[in-house]
Amino acid sequence: MATNPVPDHVPPEMVRDFSLFTSPGMSPTPNGDPQAAVACVHAGPPIFYSPCNTRDGRGTWVITRASDQRRVLQDAETFSSHRSIFASALGENWPMIPLELDPPAHGVFRSLLNPLLSPKRVMALEPAVRERAIELIERIAASGTSCDVMKDFAFPFAVSIFLRFLGLPDDRLDTFVGWGKDLLHGDDVKRPAAARTIVAFIDELAAMRREDAVDDFMTFIVQAQVEGRRLTDTQVRGIGVLVFVAGLDTVAAAIGFDLAYLARNLKDQQLLRSEPERIVLAAEELLRVYPTVQLIRVATKDINFEGAPIRKGDYVSCATMIANRDPAEFECPNTIDLEREDNRHAAFGYGPHRCLGSHLARREIVIGLEEWLARIPAFRIKRGTAPITTGGHVFGIENLILDWS
Amino acid sequence: MRIIVQNSKCQGHARCAAQAPDIFKLDDEGYILPGDIEVAEGEELPASRGARSCPERALELDRTPAARVE
Repeated sequence: MATNPVPDHVPPEMVRDFSLFTSPGMSPTPNGDPQAAVACVHAGPPIFYSPCNTRDGRGTWVITRASDQRRVLQDAETFSSHRSIFASALGENWPMIPLELDPPAHGVFRSLLNPLLSPKRVMALEPAVRERAIELIERIAASGTSCDVMKDFAFPFAVSIFLRFLGLPDDRLDTFVGWGKDLLHGDDVKRPAAARTIVAFIDELAAMRREDAVDDFMTFIVQAQVEGRRLTDTQVRGIGVLVFVAGLDTVAAAIGFDLAYLARNLKDQQLLRSEPERIVLAAEELLRVYPTVQLIRVATKDINFEGAPIRKGDYVSCATMIANRDPAEFECPNTIDLEREDNRHAAFGYGPHRCLGSHLARREIVIGLEEWLARIPAFRIKRGTAPITTGGHVFGIENLILDWS
Repeated sequence: MRIIVQNSKCQGHARCAAQAPDIFKLDDEGYILPGDIEVAEGEELPASRGARSCPERALELDRTPAARVE
């Protein structure tokens, strides 16, 4: 990737050769551990400038301390999330909602959507989530002693729960998974193509639900009123696209990283299998060490932040995987301790944009692990295979061939 | 013991309610109800666990006996 000119206001001594896209371990790596690879930043200064730290090669400030990330992410007035990151792939400019809106507009839409994914609502979804997990795992258990967890369990599980939430049938599941992969991990041709396909799909679905109301998410959105008005087509699209993108990849990746860890650490695997009541706490520790998302904000004004001369328009990166290994907040941050208490990790972000789907995601991860461990005997990474991990804007794991023969 | 609730900092992580649902009550959106929380005797442990679980630092433990002033 071409080196970008560092802006004049950035002191040269604050520039570091670090990037979530290009540093060692960020490109597809067999048996990689990209979250551990980025934890090396804690050996350096708490804030620095990375000349190439977005997908399109822009520079960002990198905030490494969890407490500083909280300050940035809790202060949406100074650090805006209005970036139109999805639309910009299409050469357009409209926000994903509520993620790319700032307060106060953000709060109005957030209030509309919060009840749909509240802890109470997620409890009601739980039986369907568990049923789906059991169905998939029993099929895997019946068909042999090895599988690709990503293809056979993690993706079909996470995506079908999310399709059910949207009110869509399972029969196009593979298509949706493909769109999501192209969008999040595809090249410069696949990405915009996938973005276009997803927008067309959401627009068409919204049009259908306007025509014929049913009891589902998209019908709720097209009928919803905000401040006495129906949502515009662009607002409906902004919500639909965000929910689609957010639900596709993240939970599947979390389950993949978690099972990869357990496949390599048989003692922990056995502990959780024999004492499944430990899984809820263990899942928090696995969220801490294997989060997948980098949050980027745009400075709305000049600010001197902990010694960094941030100027209006600068990008500020808060990578959850960096905050979660901050030694100031987590004792022995690179040690995975499934009994860790008081684990206030940042896997779902901080501030008003806290992951709207966090309660559902947590339940899916816990249920996925519970049902997997209850039905699959001691498993390892299949000999001769290697899970391939990736860094980037959203960290991922491409394959995970497990063996329990 | 009392828990000081900074509602403006609550972002609906609901970690407190996961620790102690009877002490930390949430609204329909999943955010903590307004008002400080007086912790009943015997509930100090789950209450302090819940307060310590908040990723936003919206909950603060107040162990001073000031609440006794009448």
